[in-house]
Amino acid sequence: MENIGTQVSLPFSRAFQIALQGIRNRLGRSLVTMSGVMLGIAFLMCTITTQLIDKTVNRERKLRQTVNLMENVLKSEIGAVQGKRIAVAAFGAISESERTLIASIVAAGPVELRGYGVEAAGVTRSGAKDLAADASVVLIFGDSKQCPLSLAELTACMTRKLALDTRADRAFTGTPDPSIRRELFFGKQIEEQASKQRIEAQRERSRLIWIVAVSLCVTVIGVANAMLMSVTERFREIGTMKCLGALSGFIRTLFLIESALIGFTGSVVGAVSGALFTMLVYSFTYSFATVFLSMPYDRLVLAGMTAVVIGTILAMLAALYPARVASRMVPASALRSTV
Amino acid sequence: MKRDRIIARAIDVKRKYALGGETVWALRGISMDIYEGEYLSIMGPSGSGKSTFFNMIGGLDKPTSGKVYIDHVDIAQLDPYELAWLRCRKIGYVFQTFNLIQVMSCIENVMLPMSFAGKDSEEARDEAMRILELVGLGNRPLHKPAELSGGQQQRVAIARALANSPDILLADEPTGNLDLKTGEEIIRLFRKLSDDLGVTVIAATHDLKMLKASDRIAWIDDGRLAKITTAEEVKIEVEEVK
Repeated sequence: MENIGTQVSLPFSRAFQIALQGIRNRLGRSLVTMSGVMLGIAFLMCTITTQLIDKTVNRERKLRQTVNLMENVLKSEIGAVQGKRIAVAAFGAISESERTLIASIVAAGPVELRGYGVEAAGVTRSGAKDLAADASVVLIFGDSKQCPLSLAELTACMTRKLALDTRADRAFTGTPDPSIRRELFFGKQIEEQASKQRIEAQRERSRLIWIVAVSLCVTVIGVANAMLMSVTERFREIGTMKCLGALSGFIRTLFLIESALIGFTGSVVGAVSGALFTMLVYSFTYSFATVFLSMPYDRLVLAGMTAVVIGTILAMLAALYPARVASRMVPASALRSTV
Repeated sequence: MKRDRIIARAIDVKRKYALGGETVWALRGISMDIYEGEYLSIMGPSGSGKSTFFNMIGGLDKPTSGKVYIDHVDIAQLDPYELAWLRCRKIGYVFQTFNLIQVMSCIENVMLPMSFAGKDSEEARDEAMRILELVGLGNRPLHKPAELSGGQQQRVAIARALANSPDILLADEPTGNLDLKTGEEIIRLFRKLSDDLGVTVIAATHDLKMLKASDRIAWIDDGRLAKITTAEEVKIEVEEVK
């Protein structure tokens, strides 16, 4: 008489193979389940891509707004720039908006721009002394709080002594001269508006996180429901496998692999389509080039891979309960002749 | 037919089910010996406990009280791993609805229990081919079940049941979904397997043709073994009715 042995567990590759065949067999149902994961992950990817686009596009938009504002201030002080002489003095590093303003003045030309401490196309280099000679205005740029020159030195030889500064807190040497007007590009109002916008953006983000979390929960429930239906539909197949010697653990692995595969495929499709869709939609508002060229692709790809990992894990989590139901199915269920 | 070795034995087997808070006794104490190499039919009206008894003998269910031995092993003592081993190698199951895995070809279906038994090689493929030839389907190993007729599908299912050379072939209404002619062919195949391979065939059936082919018939009624008859006795009874 032969003794009873203990059934061995099948290798993972065999389970994978059978799970893959199972998906192929029920392609329609698998695609429906997959589309659930796809939608959830596509939504997640949409929000991430939106954030990334906003970051780049927002910077551009803000810059445009700032330069616009500076142009208006300049225009209200001296009128049109054409045919005028404008002096630019920079202390410390020049900001992007300042550089863009210089470029836009040059572009608006014909205009004579003389610069002290400024290296830019269309700007003639000049010493500090004769910088402002016959100029309509001296623009004071740069991020340095301390200016090593006095306002009187900067506005020497000007008929109408006028300086426009980008920093309100800049300190000059020497005693203040009441005949020199120093105006600011940016008033206090603008600062307040910016902080208000920041708070609003923060609120918007936390709201978005909630919506994404809820949508992912809905995805998990959807996949769990689909897998549960798939299990009840396949009671006979599961029972048959058990009659042929499959262990409960094998059946559980089978369903987990199937769900992971569906989750992975759905996530990949969802991540790609979500990112593409968002970028195309933004291309309508901003230019195609702005969106596609300024996108930080390394971060987008990283976000995509994270989304795929999340989708796969969520799909497997969703399959935990259905897989348990399947593994607990008794072999005798294979004998039931009615569905 | 040799009757020297007992392959399965039931001793005062009782089984109760809880149905909506009510206790129902499906089996009220059945004792029976099943011999190696015999062809046994289990007969009984629906609700008689026939299926329950059939499941017990096949190691698919455990008794509430009493003992079921398969090849001298008390199945109540086995853990899930040992039960799976038993189902894989000792018993081959044939179903009324064939239950072939639809995505797999015939030969893959036959090889499935072999891979559960840890045999996953070229030799397994050769062995599966040999069994398919034995059941008369050697010419279409790569067909999918859907491309075959009902009778052919049941032959594949029988080949699959024989994959790990089991001692017992357990068939649940194997001709229930087949027409008269193919049903007869399947019965002849069972008879042949029983005679040639010495495999014990246990079949739950309503089919009169099945009864005539069997060595013994166990009649189950109301959870008890009503009688055990031989095929000759059945023939006589049927003729009397006619």
